[in-house]
Amino acid sequence: MKRKEDPRLIQGLGHYVDDLSLPGQLYAAILRSPHAHARLRKIDRSAAERAAGVVAVITGEDIRGVLGTIPVAAALPELKVPPHYPLAIDNICYVGEPVAVVVADDRYRARDAVDLIEVDYEPLPAVTDPEKALEKSSPRVHEQFKDNQACLWKIEAGFPDRAFKKADRIVRQRFLNQRLIPVAMEPRGVLASYDPGPELLTVWSSTQIPHLLRTQIAAMLNVPEMRVRVIAPEVGGGFGSKLNVYGEEALVAHLAMKLGRPVKWMETRRENFLATIHGRDQIDDVEVAVKQDGRILALKCRLTADLGAYHQLLTPAIPTLTGLLMLGCYKIPAVKIEYVGVFTNKMATDAYRGAGRPEATYLIERMVDLVALELGKDPAEIRRQNFPKPKDFPYSTPTGVIYDSGNYEATLKKALELAGYKKLREEQKKLWKQGRYLGIGLSTYVEICAMGPSSAMPAGGWESGTVRIEPTGKVTVLTGASPHGQGQETSFAQVVADELGISPDSVIVIHGDTQAVPYGIGTFGSRATAVGGTAMFLAVQKLKDKLKRLAGHLLGVDPKRIEMGEGKLVVKGKPKKSKSFLEVVQAAYVAKTLPPNFEPGLEATTFFEPSNFTFPFGAHVCVVEVDAETGDVHILRYVAVDDCGNVINPLLVDGQVHGGIVQALGQALFEEAVYDENGQLLTGELMDYAIPRAWDVPRIETARTVTPSPVNPMGVKGVGEAGTIAATPAIVNAVVDALRPLGVRDIQMPLKRERLWALLEARGS
Amino acid sequence: MKLEGTQTISAPREGVYRLLSDPAVIARLLPGCEKLEPAGPDTYEVKMKLGLAALSGSYQGTVKLSEQRPPEHLRLTVTSRGPWGFADGDGGFTLSEQGGQTTVHYAGELKVGGMVASIGSRLLDGAARMVIAQFFKNLEREAAAE
Repeated sequence: MKRKEDPRLIQGLGHYVDDLSLPGQLYAAILRSPHAHARLRKIDRSAAERAAGVVAVITGEDIRGVLGTIPVAAALPELKVPPHYPLAIDNICYVGEPVAVVVADDRYRARDAVDLIEVDYEPLPAVTDPEKALEKSSPRVHEQFKDNQACLWKIEAGFPDRAFKKADRIVRQRFLNQRLIPVAMEPRGVLASYDPGPELLTVWSSTQIPHLLRTQIAAMLNVPEMRVRVIAPEVGGGFGSKLNVYGEEALVAHLAMKLGRPVKWMETRRENFLATIHGRDQIDDVEVAVKQDGRILALKCRLTADLGAYHQLLTPAIPTLTGLLMLGCYKIPAVKIEYVGVFTNKMATDAYRGAGRPEATYLIERMVDLVALELGKDPAEIRRQNFPKPKDFPYSTPTGVIYDSGNYEATLKKALELAGYKKLREEQKKLWKQGRYLGIGLSTYVEICAMGPSSAMPAGGWESGTVRIEPTGKVTVLTGASPHGQGQETSFAQVVADELGISPDSVIVIHGDTQAVPYGIGTFGSRATAVGGTAMFLAVQKLKDKLKRLAGHLLGVDPKRIEMGEGKLVVKGKPKKSKSFLEVVQAAYVAKTLPPNFEPGLEATTFFEPSNFTFPFGAHVCVVEVDAETGDVHILRYVAVDDCGNVINPLLVDGQVHGGIVQALGQALFEEAVYDENGQLLTGELMDYAIPRAWDVPRIETARTVTPSPVNPMGVKGVGEAGTIAATPAIVNAVVDALRPLGVRDIQMPLKRERLWALLEARGS
Repeated sequence: MKLEGTQTISAPREGVYRLLSDPAVIARLLPGCEKLEPAGPDTYEVKMKLGLAALSGSYQGTVKLSEQRPPEHLRLTVTSRGPWGFADGDGGFTLSEQGGQTTVHYAGELKVGGMVASIGSRLLDGAARMVIAQFFKNLEREAAAE
C-alpha cells in the first residue's frame, strides 16, 4: 500500500512551522557567540532597540531567575551537569551559543538589528580535542568543575583479563567515529502564541517529542502543564536532532507570553550547523583476544566521547548504547569497556540516526574484518564462526542485554547468495592482478531498538495508543508516538483496518498535538511501530471485544461465537448470520439496545510497556571499485538483507532501509564536522559539509528474512535506523578490502577521494 | 592560520620603517581602511570594509604598534569585529637592507571566528594573501612617492 502521507506532502499541502502565521506575529532572530570560550563582559543593545521595527531585545540577564535550565534526561553515576541556560549568562562555552534575541515585526528587520548589538567578550582559551581536554594542563570548559571529564561508565564481565592471557593473537585498532551534522531538510522552527483569556500557551515546534516538550516547557517557564499545548505539525526530518528540548523553544514561548503577541523563530541552515545537536564523535581504542581457529574470546574498549560543551537531553547517554551493543552479533564471552565522556568547547552531541549503535557496529564489524585479515581467513567465515545459533535465543550478552530473537546465519547466507559472494572473490583476484581495486565489504549487524522498556530508559519507554470508532464507522487513531515522515499514518491505518475488517481509507491517524492525543513518548530509537503500534493494536483488541459482545447481544448468541468479517461481525460457522460493522457501531452510540453494564461509545486507550528492547539484525554486502588514479569509490553493488521481524508495509520498510543506507554512506565517504583548535566550526554550511547527492547513491538491492520478536504481539521489531547502523562498516570494509594488495589495514573515515588518492600515491599503486 | 612571507621594497629601510610606523600611512596601506584614529599610546581605532564574498561588511577594531626597534622591527596587532564575526591579526615585521632595497619579512597569525570561520574558512587563505599583497603594493607605492 502506498503512503497516505505522500499526496499532501508532494503537492505542497503539508504545513510545516514556517507555513503557519498568526495575526500580529513577530519574528525572533538570535545573536550567537563567535567565540568558543569567553566571558561576557558587557552587552550594549541600545542601537538594536532603536532599530526600525524592533519590539524587544533580551539577553541572558533578562532570563536570569526567570527561565529554567535546558533539561538533561540522561542519568549516569557521577555525571557532571553544568547549568545550561537558553541564553548565555556570564560565560560562553561554544561557538553559536545564544547571547541575545531580537524580536521585530519582520524577520529581516530582526536579523539586521542583531548586527547592532555590541558585545564585549573576554576570550578564554578553548579546547576542542577530547584527549587534550583530559590532560591536566587543559583549559577547563566549565570553571566550576575540576576537570573536563563529564562522566565515567564501565562494563566488565566474563573475566576479560584472563581471556586475553589465553589468546593466540591480540588484534588492536583505534577508530575515530567522526562528528556528524544531522542536516534535517527542515531546520528547527518554533511559533508560540499566548491566549490570555483561557490562559493557554500554544507552541508549534518542529519536534519528535511533543508531550515531553510540553512537560519541559511548562517546567522551564514555570507554567502549569495543562495550560501548555504543543503541536508538532509536519516535521521535515528529525533523525534524532529533534528528539530534544532546545533553549529556543523556551525562549520563543517566553517571548510570546511576555510580549502578548505570537512570536516565530526559524532556524537558518547556518544556525542549524552551529546550534542543533551533532552526532557520533567517539574515539574507540579496541582490542580483541582471538584463538588461532577464529574464535573471539574477549573485547576491550576505551571509548572517549566528545560530548561538546553542554548536555542536551540525552547527550551523555548515547555512548552507553555503544557499550551495550559493542559485541555485535557475536558470542564473545568476555568484555571490558570504559567510557569517558568529555566536555569540549563545541556544540553538544546527542542522538543522530542510530545514536550510539552505528559506533558500536562500526568498531565490531571493522574488528572482525581485522581478525580475518590477521588470521588469513574469509571475513564471512569468521563471522559465521562467532554467531550465536538460533537455539541460543533469547541470548544474554555479557554487556547485560537480552537479544530477543535472531537467526544470523540465515541473513548472512541469503546476502552472500544474492551478492554471488564466491564469484565476487574470484573476480577480485583477477582484477587485483590487473592492478584494479575491487573490494567486498560485509556487515552483519544487530541493533537495539523499539526503545523501551521504561526501566532501561531515561524518561519512560512505553507508548500510548487510542482507537476511536466514530458513530459513522470511520475510525480515528491517536498515537503518542509522533511520526514525522516515517509513514505510520499508513501502517497504523493498515493494522487497525485489518483488525476491524474495514478499509484503511476509513482510518485516520492523528499525532503530534498534545491537546488531541493522550500523553506519549514520541518517535525515536525505531520505536513507533513496535511500541506505539502495539499500544494501538492492544486498544483495538479492546474494541473488538466490545463489538463482539454487542453483536452477540444483537444477534442473540454468545459473544464467543462472534468473529470479525469483512465489514461485518459474523457468527462462527454461520456466515449468513451477521450484523454489519456499521450496525454494531451505531448500536453502541444510539445505546438503546445495549447488554447490561455495557459502556456506550467505542473508544479505547492502551499504554503499552514493552518487556524488552527488540534486536533487528541483518547482513549487508557492499562491492566497490576504487579508482587507482583518482581515489574515487564506485559502489558497484549494495545488497541489504534485513530482518526486522514481521513486516506491516514492505514499501515503508524498504524506504527506511534505503534512507538509512544513504546516511551511512554519507558518514563513510563524505561527512565530517570540523572544528579548528580555537573551537571555530570550519564546516559551517553545505558548501563545506558534504552530504550524499542523488548521483552518489547506488542501486540498493533489498531482501528480508523474518524472525518475529517475542516482545510484542505483532512480532515487529523496528527498521528506522538499521540501514545507518549496518552500512557504514559495510562500505568501509569494502574499500579497505579493495586496497588489501597495498597492505592497507585501516583508513580513517570519511573515505574522501583525496585521502584515498594520497594513500594510493604513497603506496605506489 | 599562520601567515609568513618576504617582500622586497625598492627603498631604503629607514624610509620603509617610517612608513610602517606612521598611522596615517597605515590607514592608506590597510585595504578597505576607512578610519584610523588615535585611541591611546600607539593604539588606534580602525574601521575597515572587508570584502569576503557573503561575509563582506564593515568591521571595527583596533590597530596597535609594539616592539618598535627602528629601523629593523615592529609588530602590528589588528583586531576587528563585524557582523559576521571577528578577524584578529598579529604579526612582526623585520626589515633588512641590501643594495638600497629593503626586505620585509613578516610572520604572524590570523585568527577568525564566527561565520567568518565557519563559512569563510575555505576563502580565507586566498583572501588573506590578497590583502597582504595589496598591503605591500600600497607600501611600494608610498615608498616610491617619498
